[in-house]
Amino acid sequence: MNFAVLQIQNFSLHALRRNDAHLATCPLAITQGEGRHAIVAEVSPEAVGVEAGMAVTIAMARCPGITLQPRDPAAEVEAQRLLLAAALTLSPRVEATAAGCCTVDLKGADPTKTAIQMRQCVTELAQNGLPARIGVGTTILIASYAARIAEPILHVTDETNFLHPLPLAFAEPTARQIEILTSWGIHTLGALTDLPKAEIGERLGTGGIHLWERAAGQKERVLKLIEPPQSYVAQWRYEPPVESLEPLLFKLTRYAERVAWELKASGLVAQELTLTLFLEDETEHRRTFRLPEPSAEVDRWLRVLHTHLETVRTNASVTEVILAAAPTRPLEKQDGLFDTGLKDPATFWENLARLNALVGNDRVGTPVMIDTHRPDQFTLEKPPESIPTATPPPLHPPCGLTLRRFRPAWPAHVLWIDDRPSQIECPHFADAIRTAVGPWQISGDWWRDAWSVELWQIELASHGVYQLVRTKNGCSLEGILD
Amino acid sequence: MSATPTTLTALRSLLAARFPEKPRKPQGHVPSGVTAIDQLLGGGLPIGQLTELVSQAPSSGGQLILNRLLLATRQARQRVALIDGADAFAPETLPADALHHLIWVRCRTTTEAFAAADLLVRDGNYAVVALDLRGLLEKRLRQQPAATWYRLQRAADESPSAFLVLTPCPLVPAVPWRLVLQTPLSLVTHHTPQEEIAAQLTVELIRGHAHAAKEELAG
Repeated sequence: MNFAVLQIQNFSLHALRRNDAHLATCPLAITQGEGRHAIVAEVSPEAVGVEAGMAVTIAMARCPGITLQPRDPAAEVEAQRLLLAAALTLSPRVEATAAGCCTVDLKGADPTKTAIQMRQCVTELAQNGLPARIGVGTTILIASYAARIAEPILHVTDETNFLHPLPLAFAEPTARQIEILTSWGIHTLGALTDLPKAEIGERLGTGGIHLWERAAGQKERVLKLIEPPQSYVAQWRYEPPVESLEPLLFKLTRYAERVAWELKASGLVAQELTLTLFLEDETEHRRTFRLPEPSAEVDRWLRVLHTHLETVRTNASVTEVILAAAPTRPLEKQDGLFDTGLKDPATFWENLARLNALVGNDRVGTPVMIDTHRPDQFTLEKPPESIPTATPPPLHPPCGLTLRRFRPAWPAHVLWIDDRPSQIECPHFADAIRTAVGPWQISGDWWRDAWSVELWQIELASHGVYQLVRTKNGCSLEGILD
Repeated sequence: MSATPTTLTALRSLLAARFPEKPRKPQGHVPSGVTAIDQLLGGGLPIGQLTELVSQAPSSGGQLILNRLLLATRQARQRVALIDGADAFAPETLPADALHHLIWVRCRTTTEAFAAADLLVRDGNYAVVALDLRGLLEKRLRQQPAATWYRLQRAADESPSAFLVLTPCPLVPAVPWRLVLQTPLSLVTHHTPQEEIAAQLTVELIRGHAHAAKEELAG
């Protein structure tokens, strides 16, 4: 296992499809050339009766519903970057051999681990819209031949038996060479390599020797290695500009997949995502998301981005988008034996983000009391990762029933007899007061906006204990004691 | 190279086919901090099930039970989510230290409360998810389609959390456990420690597996 070749057949077609949701299932062909000379270069399996090399007019006649599209260079660049990022997860020594094809040097790699990684790679690439095939062999050529017929992974161990039945075209002979070899009755690589190399050289010249070497899978070359990406950014344009969430999310998913692959290939994860939307009115909407837990999982990114985008309203259509991931090393930690951390931190923080979007930013969190005697003063803060040990209970345990607040308080009209509440009327009921306890005077902030209230606890004749507040502005029911 | 994984996969498939395993349901209880409730429910709020606590009378101790639950889970360092349908929870009624484990969701409407419950019941990070629907319009609560409750029950089945629903009247169809507070408390308890009040609460089990078993025995 020295080399692996990752290949995507009909690369332009798949690159175009993964960039446009409407083309996912329709009969599709990639055209080449213009006007009367236009021919079909690549064709999807749905276009029944159409073959590569066919004139466009014939293709349209044979498959009336066919969609004909030229190549999309931007989509191909993106797909190629995704393929290279996937290859970089197998080994850091990768060559971008051609469009939709890359070669990986696997020298020194653990065969068992690499085999598992390759299966994972093929599965994930297929999920990302690129059905890849992988050929593995001792030379680049053998790996390349294997990639052409792999379904989807072929590891060549017996080279002679593998090469023998392959058609001669695999070794890429010239037209003249094909003519000569066919006249000799040679149609396969095995038939060619059965002949002595020197004899072939005498009859077909240097080209013949090169052809024989290619047929034997022996032709060696040095890989032109690529540099792994240093920044993790995706940028794309919308033509025409988009107004709704669906097309925005489709491309966002595709480009995020590539950025995530690049991060994984570098052994990194994203700690922050910055999303910038450029609008048609030349303004921009930028938002940075700190991920609850650093991750290179696209699903987790998209949950955060989707939640935010659902709440975004812009004055103009979106023309261009930039998604940038701030990389960091993956978090490695071991919880203590008695730690009560989160079982699934990612879900926990994602759900909090969703709740924030649902009920409002200031309405979800862990309550923390503000150091004041003023009633109902607290803030909601980010919950702690792990719950600290509880402090001993207070010396004076709380007494009486517990307050449930009415927010806002119910305005009440109270009849006072001897400065004690006797009857109450509020929007929800009117009743006599059986018992009243109080008052408790509390006040504060005399240096700023002084406040002063008088608290009573009242029990109604028809049951129910309530907290009554009396201020200089009148009375109100603050809550029920339950 | 692929012989070992293939053999292993085949072996696993064979074992799975010959010895099909019933999916494991979360089990156990979360002590509620109120002895009467723990006794009725067989040890506390059942994990993976809905428990409905109906406060049929005003000032019948529903909020006191919730606060006791918060104190008990705080001692055990278990996380609790409180979906506060009417935004009525008063954090100052608990010591500041007893709030570290609480996630409080302050809703404004019934829709928000049910949407939040739907998210949190699937979360898996909470020992208890409490949905407090008291204070919301009873008419709106009764308009909730039964499917909403069944959906929550199905989600709770798979969840490692106990799901407590506090309601002003019996609402949850086919709920496994329904406890009812019918006795209103009075201002006499004004100086009584809350622990003592909680110990004296009259809680009635109207619906539940334990109740059914007891009736069977009596029959």
